[in-house]
Amino acid sequence: MLLANKGFVTDARSAASSRGMPGIRVLGTSIPCETNEKSEIDAGVAAAMENIVAALTKPLTVGEKSPKQQLEPLPRIAFTGSYEAVNRFFYSKGWTDGLPISPPTEKAVAEMMTGTDLRAEHVVAKVIPRLGKATVEKIAINAVMAGALPTHMPVLITAVQALMDQRSRFDTFGVSTGSWAPFFVINGPIRNDIHINCSSGALSPGDMANAAIGRAVSLIAKNIGGARKGIEDMGVLGNPGKYSLVLGEYEEESPWEPLQVERGFKKEDSTLTLFLPNTYIQTIPRDTNAKGYVETYASLNPGSMSCLLVVPSHAKVLSSEGWTKKKIKEFILENSASPFPAVQGGQGTPLPPTKPSVDDLMIVVAGGPGAWIGLLRSAGGWENSFVTKKIDLPRNWDKLVAKYKNVVPTYTAY
Amino acid sequence: MRKIFGVLVTGVFVFIAGQDPSKAQSSGNASEPQFKVLSPWAEADPIPPRGISPRLNTLAGRKIGLFANFKRASRPILASVEKRLKAMYPDCETSLFDSRGANVVESESANRERFIAWAKGVDAVILAVGD
Repeated sequence: MLLANKGFVTDARSAASSRGMPGIRVLGTSIPCETNEKSEIDAGVAAAMENIVAALTKPLTVGEKSPKQQLEPLPRIAFTGSYEAVNRFFYSKGWTDGLPISPPTEKAVAEMMTGTDLRAEHVVAKVIPRLGKATVEKIAINAVMAGALPTHMPVLITAVQALMDQRSRFDTFGVSTGSWAPFFVINGPIRNDIHINCSSGALSPGDMANAAIGRAVSLIAKNIGGARKGIEDMGVLGNPGKYSLVLGEYEEESPWEPLQVERGFKKEDSTLTLFLPNTYIQTIPRDTNAKGYVETYASLNPGSMSCLLVVPSHAKVLSSEGWTKKKIKEFILENSASPFPAVQGGQGTPLPPTKPSVDDLMIVVAGGPGAWIGLLRSAGGWENSFVTKKIDLPRNWDKLVAKYKNVVPTYTAY
Repeated sequence: MRKIFGVLVTGVFVFIAGQDPSKAQSSGNASEPQFKVLSPWAEADPIPPRGISPRLNTLAGRKIGLFANFKRASRPILASVEKRLKAMYPDCETSLFDSRGANVVESESANRERFIAWAKGVDAVILAVGD
């Protein structure tokens, strides 16, 4: 039998059921989550003790002894109706992120799949926690819903592969209480091909690729992976980054080698790099020189997996004074305190403090004119690491890019 | 009057259908463009459900496994459970399995052999998540 805070009972039952054990007896308690206050624990256990004993001794029901397989109907066509009715239906099924979706019609999905040479039924990965099959068609359906373009499909397919790469630990961070959000850095020629913003306001709304790719990933996690808020995704406070956290590295304005080269790929390769932060901090430097920049970086206490966003103007100053990405990382690690020095991850079993290494820190040049510093940090470091994957392009890539190249906003002056 | 009643009933039915599109599977004003849309919900390989183990008649004289998730509350919760179990059943034994990883499926982990041996050595298991 399983003891959990009463707020986690549904999550526990879903987890047990998804592993083929729907009958596991789950007892909700009043013990506060993650507490180590003995009086609260003792009171909660005392109140639950009678039910704990009963859970171990009360004879099984027929359903617990021989649970029946409950196969859900999976019609390919989900609904027919007006734009408004489709949106109401999808929202009522829990298939959206709360915003209106673009209706995934056969035609729109077929067009979306022109963005890959893979067959519609090809399974890219099985996505946690439900191990739903991320076929090319299901990825495309969620991509249409998110407002993506066919040219975003190669990135989305690679994103699904990266999420399900065990090194990312999306299995934990994707549904965890800490509300970690997938953050994607796009490098290489595809960044310009599909207009991934790497400059002013790269992490703000307004760019179709940055917005739709992240949104599609969020829908994929929900509709393919089956991670629903408050049921399987137990993020306590939530994270606006789950709508979308996608940017490009501003390679043209960077004095350093780009991220994909640092991570073993060629400069001409298009890549996606993933990790899951749950904090985004912005600040200004202590002083307007290299020393001021690096001291400010260190004061932010990166560690436990972080990505430092360095604006181009700062990168040029740093480079001119001999600072490489590697040297900056070493300075930061030497001069910052781990944000969680005593207990790994701040909540787990106490372990000897681990000093982050240069492999836990990523530096990306991004942002527009201005003097700000950004840091995406993960409050957690459980055997996870950055995952970089090459983005494979379809044979018709150049034609596809030409077809959608002009889908860009043109702002009217006023 | 009968005709008016019939119109009212039809109106109520249409209203209800519009409020619960999941039951209707098709809805909206037919004069508007209609969208036949594909389901975003993915198929998963069915996992044949297994029944849970038969319950014990009593905990007296039994060995109860205490499985601690990695979260910090799990071990003190189990310590409290153990104390009460032993007060209620003085000849009851306990055996702790301390899972050190975050959300690790121990039967698929490097600890698999140790975990299986532990599970086979106990009569029942109480798992404390810590949340």
